[in-house]
Amino acid sequence: MQKDTKALKTLTVMVMAVAFLLTLSVSQVFSASDKLKEGRKICTTRKLGNCVSCHYLPDVESPGNVGPNLVEVMKHFTEADRDIVRQWVYDARKFNPDTIMPPFGPNKILTPEQIEAVVDYLYSLKKTTK
Amino acid sequence: MHGKIMKLLLCLAILLVPITFSKIVKAGDDIKEYTPNCTYEEYEKIYLNFYGNSTQEMAEEGNPAELMLDDGEDLYHKVEGTKGKSCASCHGENGEKLRGVAAHYPKYDPTIKGINTIALQINRCRKDKMGAKPLKYESYDQLALTLYVKSLSNGVPINVSIDGPARKFYEEGKRLYYTRMGQWNFNCAICHVKYACKRVRTNLLSPNRHHGDHWPSYRLKWGKAGSIQRRIRGCMKNMRAKPFKYQSEEIRALELYLTYQSNGLPLEVPGMRM
Ligand code: HEC
Ligand code: HEC
Repeated sequence: MQKDTKALKTLTVMVMAVAFLLTLSVSQVFSASDKLKEGRKICTTRKLGNCVSCHYLPDVESPGNVGPNLVEVMKHFTEADRDIVRQWVYDARKFNPDTIMPPFGPNKILTPEQIEAVVDYLYSLKKTTK
Repeated sequence: MHGKIMKLLLCLAILLVPITFSKIVKAGDDIKEYTPNCTYEEYEKIYLNFYGNSTQEMAEEGNPAELMLDDGEDLYHKVEGTKGKSCASCHGENGEKLRGVAAHYPKYDPTIKGINTIALQINRCRKDKMGAKPLKYESYDQLALTLYVKSLSNGVPINVSIDGPARKFYEEGKRLYYTRMGQWNFNCAICHVKYACKRVRTNLLSPNRHHGDHWPSYRLKWGKAGSIQRRIRGCMKNMRAKPFKYQSEEIRALELYLTYQSNGLPLEVPGMRM
């Protein structure tokens, strides 16, 4: 009898742990895709980043052509270049003092979290075939 | 003794710094002009490809601002103010003495020691010569009169002078055209020179060659006619910058700079734009 209860207890704990881990990873997957969605939204919304006013991004109606195609751009960046990509979005003047790209960071157009979401989204473009 | 000389030198230095500084910032010649990305002819081809000829067809059906122009002609002949005069009292029936005049505007005026525009001159005449109230800028009557006066130079090549005292204001206009503004940190020239003919989403960036030859224009987006100053203010709002006030010194300098870019082209009002 006692043995049984103990076994049951252990089982419950195990089940709970597995369930906990499962929800954890599921929510992580969820929040990662949420963040990508958020990044994409920032890029395609006029009042936010509005990257598509100048750059090509997949599945966007009539993107602008002032800047380079961002899918092509991301082919040239590896994970190791994350700081460079972030800097481009944060303040492109570091690379081109007379750039047309708005200084999203210093001019407080986007928050650091929003910029991070944009960078995540840009890296997800490496998997795009278009 | 030494201390006094040092103080004097320091004062001089402090006085001189802003002078030289403002010179560096203000002189238009120091601005590195952009190379235009395309010619107007190339722009027209891209425009046709991108938008089709819908605006052209609409213009052929008639420009709604023609009605405003007719009202402007009536206003020109209407007696107003304490002195019992109309514009025609001084400038002749049907604007006889104003033919070709608007092709030289904006221009330097020694009385105001600044740049005069047609809209400004209309209000100066009303106040000083007619004893009438100045018309609110961008109001129907003000635009109608501007339109009528400018139409008296339709077909006349624009010939704006930037010689003599006008030069300084032209340089100021150019400096403003190249000044970064607003949260987006754009300047006018980057869109209308460096990236002209490129697309910002569904907007084609226009090269500035024809920016000064057709205002006031009817604009579909506004659903009515407006002045070049309203258009400039619109772009400034898009830049998230605080727009210059109507007829402020800054916006008149910009109008001068832009109209000078259209020198040699025939004035054609009212224009029609999307
Ligand atoms: C008004 C135009 C404009 C906007 C808006 C804009 N960009 Fe750019 N971008 C450019 C141009 C032009 C370049 C090319 C480099 C240059 O001229 O500075 C560029 C370059 C880049 C680069 C580097 C390209 C390379 O070759 O390494 C990245 C990354 C980038 N942009 C991402 C973004 C993102 C993300 C946004 C929005 C949050 C954005 N841009 C908004 C015009 C723009
Ligand atoms: C981010 C891009 C951008 C900037 C910066 C910009 N503009 Fe524009 N501008 C446009 C677009 C797009 C149009 C619409 C073109 C059209 O009607 O096809 C336009 C139209 C105009 C027109 C009317 C053109 C015509 O002939 O109908 C004038 C005049 C003008 N801009 C002046 C200015 C001035 C002056 C500034 C700076 C204070 C400025 N613009 C800044 C994008 C810009």
